[in-house]
Amino acid sequence: MKFRYLSLGAVALGFVIGGSASHANADVPGGSGCQGSATWSEDGLTVVAETDGGPYTIPRSDTVAWEGSVAAAPGVYSGSVWVDLPPPFGKVEIDNWGGDSQTTSNSGAQEYDFPSLVPAGVEFELSGEHIDENGGCSASIKLEIDGGPFDSPIAPISLGGTAVFALLTGLALKPLFVKVI
Amino acid sequence: MSYGRVVLSAILAMFLLLFVAADLVLFGVLPLNSVIVTILPLAGLVIGAMLGVMARNRRSASPPNAQPLPPSAAQPAV
Repeated sequence: MKFRYLSLGAVALGFVIGGSASHANADVPGGSGCQGSATWSEDGLTVVAETDGGPYTIPRSDTVAWEGSVAAAPGVYSGSVWVDLPPPFGKVEIDNWGGDSQTTSNSGAQEYDFPSLVPAGVEFELSGEHIDENGGCSASIKLEIDGGPFDSPIAPISLGGTAVFALLTGLALKPLFVKVI
Repeated sequence: MSYGRVVLSAILAMFLLLFVAADLVLFGVLPLNSVIVTILPLAGLVIGAMLGVMARNRRSASPPNAQPLPPSAAQPAV
């Protein structure tokens, strides 16, 4: 899609770039005059392009209405959205975009549904970057899925692993616990 | 010199603290991209190796067969 960057830009500028309940847009840091916002249709949360990065609690599934724009015709552009992982794993790129366009704005809606394996209540950082001939903008936002740790089967598995390895480590270090006369 | 216990302890402790780190993330104590998630398993490797050395030394310091002395040795002839 030719103007796909704007939809992802909106997700980047809505998902990625922090905001508040206000609908007033603000410039995203950078030289391209990026603006954007996203509204969760069922949850009612609205995120606009500001520097405040959350954290925001989002529903496991919803539809996000997004809009995004840049100040001037972008020309050749590129960008990406990613989730930051602990070092040294770097980041997982969710999507990227690029092309050549003179359109400065776009909008749409995106439905999403995280599988139950994705744990709730875990804070993760979603970051995005957009670069065009007028400059670039980048930002990040902290998000977490609404719910508790036991909404996902990962938490009991992790607790079980902790218990098993605590037992095995204790057995391996048994001489430390035996009284030496 | 046997390093089996040291290596085993280091590996087990590394996995133990890896799961502890996962627990801390899953229960919302640490964010996903926290550097502590990386440090904990490495710390487990080091601490496990150190405890393994201590356990090995403790084991080699203890008498291998703590059997009771024979009666003749325990009660010297008068």
